[in-house]
Amino acid sequence: MRDLLYGMSSLPSDYFAVFGIPVTLALDLPELQRRFYVLSKQYHPDRFGRATAAEQQYALDFTSLLNDAWRVLRDPQARAEYVLQNNGLEAGDSRGNPPPAELLEEVFELNMALEELRQGEAEARGPIREALDRFLALREALDSEREALFLRYDANPAAETLRQLRALLNRRRYIENLVRDAQQALS
Amino acid sequence: MAYSNKVLDHYNHPRNVGSLDKNDAQVGTGMVGAPECGDVMKLQIKVNPETGIIDDAKFKTFGCGSAIASSSLATEWLKGKTVDEALAIKNTDIVSELALPPVKIHCSVLAEDAIKAAINDYKVKQGAAPLLQAH
Repeated sequence: MRDLLYGMSSLPSDYFAVFGIPVTLALDLPELQRRFYVLSKQYHPDRFGRATAAEQQYALDFTSLLNDAWRVLRDPQARAEYVLQNNGLEAGDSRGNPPPAELLEEVFELNMALEELRQGEAEARGPIREALDRFLALREALDSEREALFLRYDANPAAETLRQLRALLNRRRYIENLVRDAQQALS
Repeated sequence: MAYSNKVLDHYNHPRNVGSLDKNDAQVGTGMVGAPECGDVMKLQIKVNPETGIIDDAKFKTFGCGSAIASSSLATEWLKGKTVDEALAIKNTDIVSELALPPVKIHCSVLAEDAIKAAINDYKVKQGAAPLLQAH
């Protein structure tokens, strides 16, 4: 127990370090999960019953940090947001990167159909279903694009790639909200 | 968050909701959106070919109360103005008229962008050079 905690007086500084890996966007999920189970077991507070108070506290803090890190890193969208935030690129700032006009047109039409459905016009369901299919396809395309940017950043961590990723994530969140609204309306 | 009375008034009684024929040569259509909040705003102007004055303005906004109020107010201000006068409307005018809090300033920016986009569409239809993007 003692050697496990040796030299670990302070907690890892970021979620990747918790897992003992460098900052990586295109993570190997099964490998991350394997590490999560190993570390969870290793630092389980039950194993520190006879350790010093400081060691017990460290195990507790590490476990809580590990759970946070796992929750964020296993989700590609949350993982990317985390890396962007650490690089000073907060969510939301899409100035100078407005959504394309055709997308806005689609969004507007979908909102119109949703409003009609809310007002009791059942025939609006058809257009909503069609729009939902298009937005789902769009989300899939964005996911492949996101994966490509992940790989590009891991090979060469350039600020420009992060800026592109920022714009892509904003767009994806937009699509995600629309998908949710449409699915709710149809259910 | 507390909305000002003016925001509530425009939200509860939005002026000029609706649409104009976007294929009409005298009609300019601006469609803008903000992915971060999911707002989408359509604003249209109809310009009188003799006087060059905006005779009619319509909007339809899907978004928060401040976005609806900002676009509603914008259509009120647009009517009776020339295109050049309309271009002088600034988002800060909307902010002070509606007493928008800092977190809602982007709604007024959206409304200004919508005005510019509508005028741009009108100008392009008339064969004039497009406006430079303000933002």
